Amino acid sequence: MQAKHLKPAILLSIYIAISHWSGSALAQNTDASNLYKSGLAATCANCHGTDGKGVVDGGMPLINNLTSEQILTQLKAFKSGAREGTIMPQLAKGYSDEQLETIANQLGKKQ
Amino acid sequence: MDRRHFIGNSAAAIGLLAGFSGQAKANLQKAEILVIGGGYGGATAAKYLRLFSNNTAKVTLIEPNPTFISCPLSNLVVGGSRTLSDITSSYDNLSKRHGIKIIQDSVTSMDPDKKTVKLASGKTLRYDKAVVSPGVTLMMNSIEGLAQANKAGVTLQAWKAGPETTALHKQLASMRDGGTFAISIPEAPYRCPPGPYERACQVANYLKHNKPKSKVLILDANQDVTSKGALFKKVWAEQYSGLIEYLPKHNVVAVDAKTKMVKLEVQDDIKADVLNLLPAMSAGEIAVKTGLANSNGRWVNVNFLNFESTAQKDIHVLGDSIQVAYAMPKSGHMANQHAKVAAAAIVAELSNWEVNPAPVLTNTCYSFVNDREVVHVASVHQYIAAEKTFKPVPGSGGLSPAPSTLEGVYAWGWAHNIWADSLG
Repeated sequence: MQAKHLKPAILLSIYIAISHWSGSALAQNTDASNLYKSGLAATCANCHGTDGKGVVDGGMPLINNLTSEQILTQLKAFKSGAREGTIMPQLAKGYSDEQLETIANQLGKKQ
Repeated sequence: MDRRHFIGNSAAAIGLLAGFSGQAKANLQKAEILVIGGGYGGATAAKYLRLFSNNTAKVTLIEPNPTFISCPLSNLVVGGSRTLSDITSSYDNLSKRHGIKIIQDSVTSMDPDKKTVKLASGKTLRYDKAVVSPGVTLMMNSIEGLAQANKAGVTLQAWKAGPETTALHKQLASMRDGGTFAISIPEAPYRCPPGPYERACQVANYLKHNKPKSKVLILDANQDVTSKGALFKKVWAEQYSGLIEYLPKHNVVAVDAKTKMVKLEVQDDIKADVLNLLPAMSAGEIAVKTGLANSNGRWVNVNFLNFESTAQKDIHVLGDSIQVAYAMPKSGHMANQHAKVAAAAIVAELSNWEVNPAPVLTNTCYSFVNDREVVHVASVHQYIAAEKTFKPVPGSGGLSPAPSTLEGVYAWGWAHNIWADSLG
């Protein structure tokens, strides 16, 4: 087989490869990113319930009805030390500000 | 690269890529995912595999016990302030609400090459991904005579909550006033670092109110209390003065079932009325048998990004069975957190997405020092890519300043919520 006959095939290959790659990469990132966010918020679920829906009258302070803004305000207050508590001031200090924002967005009550 | 190879590679790439978008979903939906063990790790993994895959992954959970009995809080049953029913949950919601197939059976062997598992009932199941969360094996042979003593019912471990937990309380309840309850602790790492010290408190709390002439003897193979040390020692001095005797660097090597004599590595023999001897521990039996325990033959090394065994591909190991990262306790809470990272990674892999490069874990552990007051230890662990491990975040986490009834309420709140998160 001669090289010149292959050129269009190569170009087509590259074109298809690039278009598939970029197309699928975009879709992947969107979904993978959602998965990462769900995973991060799930670190809170042990005490505050799956997806922030805690057991009512279970003994743990509930975050079920808080908005994302309310959750973020409290998380920041725990992290800075402005709000006292037992475990939450210690845990909030382990997350970056960006992570706390993601958690608040994930778990806040959707209006 | 010559042209021929380039074309070959390109064609292969096109083939792969063209298949990606459609194939990814198909992979996730078609894959047989087997979860072995329905404790804090396995139950959570099964549930979150379904949640993270928008309920598309096929998940089967294999667990020998008909119900979930919690190890955390089981010391309250040993002490008699709670019963086994208070710490027992059903597996029903995992099938009813989450569409997980539950098989009540135990796995007798795994074949990582054929990707199959054999059940005690004789059935063989195939898997594409296996999640192995078998807890710990108590190495009964690490203490001479322990296996026989346990078989005879003379010594009970009750380190896996269940009938032994209730039976140990009965031994305590029938002990004479003036008797000795001895609990021995193996060298770390073992399941639940503060657990033995909490148990000593629960037994002492019972004795204080029922048999005040008796005492609890703690025989600790470790140099010092391995968790919440200052808090426990303060409680022992303030609440259980004369009731608890703590002996560090006391390694139990043998027990005589007939005489109830305990032989120590260094010190003189000790006799007790109730013997609660905890032997050394290793990864759960199935993990060891399958050759996964590649850390000293006892624990399973995993890739911390997806909890895949470093010994076998497509087998993800969670919870107490793994060789832990620095300052990572073997706890139920931690197993639940491992499970979520592993579940997300498996969903990502089967979807042809990159696995989360920066997962996070937390740990929260409450210990009851009597039937109402509690102390905690908490930590946050971030993945450090350069070191391929989790590390606690400096400045985060910590301990309770003192025991409190408020944390007693939170401890039950934790229990109800983690049970719902893992099983509900």
